[in-house]
Amino acid sequence: MAELLLDPDIRVWVFLPIVVITFLVGIVRHYVSILLATQKRAELQQLQDSQVMIRARLLRENGHYLPRSSFVMRRHFFNNEETGYFKTQKRQAVSQNPMTDPSMMTEMLKGNITTVLPMIVIGGWINWTFSGFVTTKVPFPLTLRFKPMLQRGIELVSLDAAWVSSASWYFLNVFGLRSIYTLVLGENNAADQSQHLQDQMSGAAMAMPPDPKVAFKAEWEALEICEHRWALENVESILLGTQNPALEQPVS
Amino acid sequence: MGSTAAHKFIFIVGIASLLHAAYSAAQHRAYLRITEQEFLSLPIDILIQGIVSLFVTMYGIMTLAGEFKEIRSTVDLESKSWETFRNCPSFYTFNHRGRALSPYYEPPQD
Amino acid sequence: MCAGRIKTAHRGTGDIVAFSESAVRNNAAVVEYCRTSMSALSGSTAGILGLTGFLGFGFYVFAVFGLWCLILLKAGVRWEKYFTNRRSLLTNGFLGGLVTYILFWTFLYGMVHVY
Repeated sequence: MAELLLDPDIRVWVFLPIVVITFLVGIVRHYVSILLATQKRAELQQLQDSQVMIRARLLRENGHYLPRSSFVMRRHFFNNEETGYFKTQKRQAVSQNPMTDPSMMTEMLKGNITTVLPMIVIGGWINWTFSGFVTTKVPFPLTLRFKPMLQRGIELVSLDAAWVSSASWYFLNVFGLRSIYTLVLGENNAADQSQHLQDQMSGAAMAMPPDPKVAFKAEWEALEICEHRWALENVESILLGTQNPALEQPVS
Repeated sequence: MGSTAAHKFIFIVGIASLLHAAYSAAQHRAYLRITEQEFLSLPIDILIQGIVSLFVTMYGIMTLAGEFKEIRSTVDLESKSWETFRNCPSFYTFNHRGRALSPYYEPPQD
Repeated sequence: MCAGRIKTAHRGTGDIVAFSESAVRNNAAVVEYCRTSMSALSGSTAGILGLTGFLGFGFYVFAVFGLWCLILLKAGVRWEKYFTNRRSLLTNGFLGGLVTYILFWTFLYGMVHVY
């Protein structure tokens, strides 16, 4: 393998700046996305809906610990044909197309601005400023298949595949530095992850499916077919050990 | 575990030693290139310095990273009193007769 | 307030042990921090030492084992207090760390040995 002798100035003015620029741009992107992030406000209606759904689900799953009359009473509250919650509450169907919702549009735009735009702009700028340098060599042998990946911007047929061009070095940095951001900026650094955290903070309201009408219908059905079998039927005798508890275990 | 300042110092010393090893290696490479010798391997002292400083730095980081917490959930609860533990906001009731004691209470009109 | 989410798991003997999820997550975060640092630092060391080819990948395996030993050393004899599984400490995030390792390896190798 022919040993290339590279100019040390390339190290100082191309190789090192690319690493520094990539790293700093990642940090700036993190703070910009924090700046742009909007607090998602839960609407009262939505919050109410999701809490009702949670209650219905809890009743369905743990209802067998209630006496039969209590269970039926609670189910009545949700499912009664005239007065039940799921029957009386009428929610209009939410428009399905997110494109028509302007707030959704801005959300998507912000996401694009903070993720895609720096990638394109900085990548293009680096490609333009530092184009056509052989920057470094990966310390392990690679097959020729990697040549177009690692040597973007320099088309030299005779060059060994282990050499890396400046543009490819930038992309290597973009992918490799991700875990370093976690190290530097702390856990949950990227904007989407902090968004997740906020969702958890504001309760289960975000877990509400977009269309409450459909969700109500499904929950109503599930509650309707839910069979009540009281788990504590013979609890006294089980406690006293007069009956074999294994035989009396409620079928869950 | 000991004080964090000492471990920070260990970490900084490790990093500095690692950088020094890097500088020494670069110097060695430059020297070989000038004298036109073939590069076989680094001198043994640089190798040892690199590996030792790696582990020194890792030891510093291990302590700086934070302590482990016991994962058994009872450990959390052991230090809490019954008063804290029984305080369950989901079961608060405000709609009770105690409100009649309030000076702003208006009895129901009927 | 009820203290955090609680997760249960069956030990081999059949009794149920309750784990505090926040503590588990805290420990995982600490281990992840150490792992990323270890990948970056061992990559730098490999680059400085000028390892090439399989020697370098072997060095990564060596570093991961060294980290495992360090973590167990830090956790002490009673590692069961902190981790549910000792082997998953070794294997988790192996490939994710490898990317960081290769980047730093290439970086320091380029800085020291190529020019």
